[in-house]
Amino acid sequence: MNISRRTFLGATAGLAGGHLLGQEGQRPVFRVKVDMVVLSFTVTDSRNRYINGLKPGDFRILEDGILQRISTFAEGAKPPVALLEDGSTRPLVETAARDRTAPGNEAAPVPENNPDAFVGTNVFVLFDTSNFMYRGFVYAEDAIADFVRGLDRADSVAVYTFSRNLSRAAPLTRDRFQAISGLRKAVAGDDTALYNGLLLTLRDAAKVPGRKVVIVFSNGPDNASMVAPDDVRAVAEDEGIPIYVISTNEVNKDPVSSGVFRRIATGTGGKAYWAKTWQKQVEAFENIREDLGNSYTITYYPQPNPNEGFRRIGVEIASDVGKKFRVRARPGYRPRGGF
Amino acid sequence: MKAFSAVLALTCGLLPGLQASPNLDRARQMEQSGDSSGARTFLARAAQSSPEDVTALTEYAEFLDRYGDPEARDAYAKVLNLLRKSGDQKRRVAVARHLTALDLLAGDRAAAERHLEEYRAAGGKQLALPPVAAGDSPARELVSIPGPLRSFARMAAISSETAPEDVLPALARNVVTNGYQASNSNDALDQTEYLKLVHRYLSQAREMEKLAGPGKVIEIESCESPKAGELLRILGYRMRGGCGSEVVLETVNATRAFLTADSGFPLHDLEQAMRTNRPFRHDFQPTRVPVMFTAAYWLPVKEKESDFLDVFLSDPALCRLYLGFSKLDPETAEALRKHVPMQRLKAYAHVLDFFGGMFELRNGKMVVPGGQKAVAAWAELAGTSPDNGIVFLEKMLARDDGWTASYFDALARTRGPVLDYLTEPARLKRFYGAMRGKVTSPGPARPVFRSNADLMLLTTRLQVGPDGRPHIPGGVDVWKNLFINHPHGKYDGKLTRAAAAWKEPDDVVEALFALCRKAVENEPLKIFMTLSDLDRNRAKPLETATVDRLARAYKQMGQQYAIFNDADLSDSSIVQFLDSAEAVSKIRDQMLRANTAGIMQALVGLWRVFAREGTIPPDKADAVFAKLIAPYGGMRENRDLFDAGRNGVRLLLEATGSKPDAAPQDRLVDLLAGNVSQPDEDAHTLMVQDTLRILEAQRIVSLNALFELADHLDAVAGGQKLSPSLVNRLTARISEIQLPRNALSGAERNALAFGYWTERHIEGQRKMNLRVAIERASTGADKEKLREIRGMLAPVLRDTLVAYNYAHYAPPGAQILFTNPLFVRSHDFLGIQGANQTWRTTELFGTGWPSNGGGRLVGSLAGLPYALAEAEQNFLVPGQTQALIWGDLVPQMILSAKIPRWWKVTPSQMHWVALHMRYTQAVLAEAAFDPELRRQVTALLSGQASPARTFLVAALLERGEAKQAVENITPSELFMLGREMAANEKGEPVPCLAELRRLAAEVPREANYRAVSRAFGTPKPTLANSYQPELLGLRTFPTLMGYSSRIMAESWESNALYWAELADALHVRPAQLNVRIPEWTRKLVEQIFASHLEDWPALLRSLRNVGEDVRSSSRSRGSEQKASLQ
Repeated sequence: MNISRRTFLGATAGLAGGHLLGQEGQRPVFRVKVDMVVLSFTVTDSRNRYINGLKPGDFRILEDGILQRISTFAEGAKPPVALLEDGSTRPLVETAARDRTAPGNEAAPVPENNPDAFVGTNVFVLFDTSNFMYRGFVYAEDAIADFVRGLDRADSVAVYTFSRNLSRAAPLTRDRFQAISGLRKAVAGDDTALYNGLLLTLRDAAKVPGRKVVIVFSNGPDNASMVAPDDVRAVAEDEGIPIYVISTNEVNKDPVSSGVFRRIATGTGGKAYWAKTWQKQVEAFENIREDLGNSYTITYYPQPNPNEGFRRIGVEIASDVGKKFRVRARPGYRPRGGF
Repeated sequence: MKAFSAVLALTCGLLPGLQASPNLDRARQMEQSGDSSGARTFLARAAQSSPEDVTALTEYAEFLDRYGDPEARDAYAKVLNLLRKSGDQKRRVAVARHLTALDLLAGDRAAAERHLEEYRAAGGKQLALPPVAAGDSPARELVSIPGPLRSFARMAAISSETAPEDVLPALARNVVTNGYQASNSNDALDQTEYLKLVHRYLSQAREMEKLAGPGKVIEIESCESPKAGELLRILGYRMRGGCGSEVVLETVNATRAFLTADSGFPLHDLEQAMRTNRPFRHDFQPTRVPVMFTAAYWLPVKEKESDFLDVFLSDPALCRLYLGFSKLDPETAEALRKHVPMQRLKAYAHVLDFFGGMFELRNGKMVVPGGQKAVAAWAELAGTSPDNGIVFLEKMLARDDGWTASYFDALARTRGPVLDYLTEPARLKRFYGAMRGKVTSPGPARPVFRSNADLMLLTTRLQVGPDGRPHIPGGVDVWKNLFINHPHGKYDGKLTRAAAAWKEPDDVVEALFALCRKAVENEPLKIFMTLSDLDRNRAKPLETATVDRLARAYKQMGQQYAIFNDADLSDSSIVQFLDSAEAVSKIRDQMLRANTAGIMQALVGLWRVFAREGTIPPDKADAVFAKLIAPYGGMRENRDLFDAGRNGVRLLLEATGSKPDAAPQDRLVDLLAGNVSQPDEDAHTLMVQDTLRILEAQRIVSLNALFELADHLDAVAGGQKLSPSLVNRLTARISEIQLPRNALSGAERNALAFGYWTERHIEGQRKMNLRVAIERASTGADKEKLREIRGMLAPVLRDTLVAYNYAHYAPPGAQILFTNPLFVRSHDFLGIQGANQTWRTTELFGTGWPSNGGGRLVGSLAGLPYALAEAEQNFLVPGQTQALIWGDLVPQMILSAKIPRWWKVTPSQMHWVALHMRYTQAVLAEAAFDPELRRQVTALLSGQASPARTFLVAALLERGEAKQAVENITPSELFMLGREMAANEKGEPVPCLAELRRLAAEVPREANYRAVSRAFGTPKPTLANSYQPELLGLRTFPTLMGYSSRIMAESWESNALYWAELADALHVRPAQLNVRIPEWTRKLVEQIFASHLEDWPALLRSLRNVGEDVRSSSRSRGSEQKASLQ
């Protein structure tokens, strides 16, 4: 960590799972711990239009080819429903309350014991405030503020900023005023440690139950991270957190960063946008908001699977018509190693 | 010196002559067993059950007092009530006086006055607090900065926590260091973007000030008001959408909008006001900050009417002078101002800034290092006597382009025998002459950082024996020989010629002074310092031949020498290490060399941990070390390497008293977590878990599995049946190793050509088909091939052993180790091609390359703790939006929280440390109303703090502001002062001192300075060439050229002492420190809000803030427990 502000803008002047302890005296036993899998995806037709109104029964979720039993289902910002044994659905809130009051069923498999967690999306905005963003800083702030204002009421938003270090400008909240106030307090300057910042954001997001996405707003070149983009992408994949990237650079200007952005976005079920102008940035945010509003979120507890490495997820649409549709989802995940 | 007993009698013990009650004895037993919290409850109950019993109540009050408990004041007040009733005037005097001191420490002046009155009423001597205003510093002129301080501070990169009187010095510093840059076209200086933004902000702020009107409040009645439009114009924003709920503010003028955003204008509040049709009100009162002397003094004659801030920002020389003045104590500063014209001073401003901080004028005379005996010599050096005060001071500034001043500054920071030695008049002149040479330019204050780093190191780290002679490792002849027959060319032609005549230690020291001027790396000084540090910790100094060998091998192996400080190693072991290391460097097969270096260094790394923590008994450490490194002298193939590594593990396990049948992995992990004789299960289990998590995240193959397989291969070779499950288990684990990420882009690969061998190392493991190899060998019953398979396991063994080292030093959070599963395996023991980094210090490579596989560590494992901390520091999340944190300080603080372990610290030892610090605080509080005591305490403080800070503390005490005075003293200074005062105490053993002495007598192995230094000191790899925690009691260093701020960071010794005092006060068991200190340190770092590299007050603030948070959460937990019990 260096003095941040004064390295700003070239002002140099020469300054440089569970822990299973066995019997006494034995080492902990390592086991693979599989948490509930949260899978968000969009369905589009051949002309890239969102397909809405699909029902849980329209989907087949496969994990390494093994069919999974859907636990909950939600579309956009609509309240989620729980799928019962007979294939019928019930609103998740009611189901959770009923299940927990049933005798002997206090620990019913309600996601994280917080049904409300599945209403809306937890959006983490990660705003690059490094030296590279100096020129476009204020326009970026405006675009992010617009995005925050336009989010669905059910969504929660956190605004983080980063340069060399991460700063939690506004914690996860449904209070738009608080989020924008935090955003407006950002300070520009210092090196760019994008992937360090993204990793810490993912770690925070992973602690929050429910559906979550991370939106990165950055110029691109990273000159200070210690972690590799692909390692960070792996964390997002494993946690089921789509990453959307809005680069304020031109796609060809920094091919290395562009390639990385594309990889981490597609690998996690998100999207990458190149938006050099303010208008394009607003459009990109608009697209992301649409994506969030038109996506499906399914949760399931994985069926027994000996694969402790990368598990490939497949989302299939059962109907014939659906075969023409395109599903955009994360390709898979690695089960969490616990001990 | 007046004995401190009088104070002690009155401050720390109020039952003189009384025998300890059975209750107190019982409480002490509980304390010693580590249950000080229980002791507190026990004494509290005893006091509650006998509310009229003075003894019970006093014992309780004193207990609280000894633990720094804020409830002590209430308890003493109850004692005072009882004494008032009983008519025991003698003890009433004592309690009233002590309460006065506690009141002052709590900042409660009204209570202090009340209790002092009672003290006098009971017959105490005529002590009085100074009247509130009497001691105040004279009112200083204020200058105006438009708008709120917070906005200006954000723009000017000044911490918002900065006190008003420190704003201009902080601004001056930023202007000097960051405000200007060399112009491309001529000699003029151009403003940097930083300064341009400050100017633009001031311009915008003035516009807003005008808009705010005479009331200095920006008031916008409604969205439609013309004033709203004007404000938005100034801010660089416009409305999108009509007034009402749809209005949004958006950028229209990016330059202005940036200033608005960056200065933290409440834009969103304004927007909300417009959306909800409510008035907007923003206080825009100007900030008034004190200016030194008067504003007129700083303004040129022609610009007397100009705005102070504009003139100030436009003149870097003026800022430098202001900065220099700000480091002087007021008396010295005033004398300088009065007697030397400003234009003349501006020419020496750089010298004053860097080397003026130790200048001190008292009663018109200059206080010089060495005191009276050195006055004549200083007079000769300066050309005038120090008795001429200001004239001498000016000569110091002007002479030899700052070399004389830097010499003065360096010597003024020394004390004790070193100071006596260096200020002996003849030497004082001789060494200066050597350093000065014939050409004095460029002076040491010319570069951006002080370029007298070597001089500072030499003067502060030189070791002088009880006979007054400097310690020369190996004797004069070694150095003579080194200078004459240097292996890599001459250090200095003149010195090489002179060396032939060297006879005395002074000759060598003189040469070292001469080399302090060299602009290039001063290798002889580094060798000298390193070897001196080795000798300092040894029972017997290094032999001449060993010193000679170490000196000659320094260039290649010097970074490894700190290893020899981890235990008292024999000369033969040291030489053997060098032999082995050199042999490793000669291995031609790169992969084998990397594996050999990795395994040897990892085993030595484990030995270091166990030796430092006493897990390997000190009397065995040398023999174990010698055996550990012996096999590496002639390593030819991987099979031998695997056997050597395995034997090394066996050796370490034996040396640490492990049972023969102990599973190696389990035992090593337990030992690394801490060799606990009385396990503190929680802390130890947590640490074991942390280690295991890291090993798992790195997909490390267990030692148990590796050794089991190796044994099984031998058994199969002997005819036993192959166990497929054993082979499969290992193979499965190896298959979890991920593909190496693209380590480098093509361009980077071409530019650096490093990383190739680590990628091959990882690929090699991934491609290793152990099962097939074993099956082939076992089918053919080829015994030799079966045994050779052990060699295939050597790279895997290397990673496992290296991983233990990484896990042991993993910083809090350890994000990299948990995210990059190849981090350990990527350790590059070879480094950049041609650079041969195998024995160099650990370095961090590959940050900020988007196409690479993440950062990695390169070089040996010698600097692993620092490198890991450095890699991890940017994952800390500052609590402030604009947190300014040191680059080198943070890794050093992380390292200081990870290397020392506190398993062997006892509650008594921790209490002993805390008692010293509380004792000092109590004496300082007494000094607030005892002038003679004040004089003595500040005289002692001057040996630790700068003249300016000593002056400030004295002034605060004189005003009765003991709380503020204590806040200006660092925890390490509090401890050192307590130590000095206790040592100087010659009077009758009084209760408080008796408490310290009682502990020292009852637990002498714990309550002594050497043990405390080990327990609560810091590792100083740069400053003292050692990772062994230690307290040196040095003054904090400034930033020094060539060492960045590592030396400065290593001179900060306050954290662990502060944590010890905090833990003692909260009755935390010492073993818990192993978990809590890293966590507290993380919080400390995240809360630092500094303005500049040497902003120690900011660090102190953060330290105390974390302490307060911990105290407060502990109190609320205590209240909850109390409530639940009730």
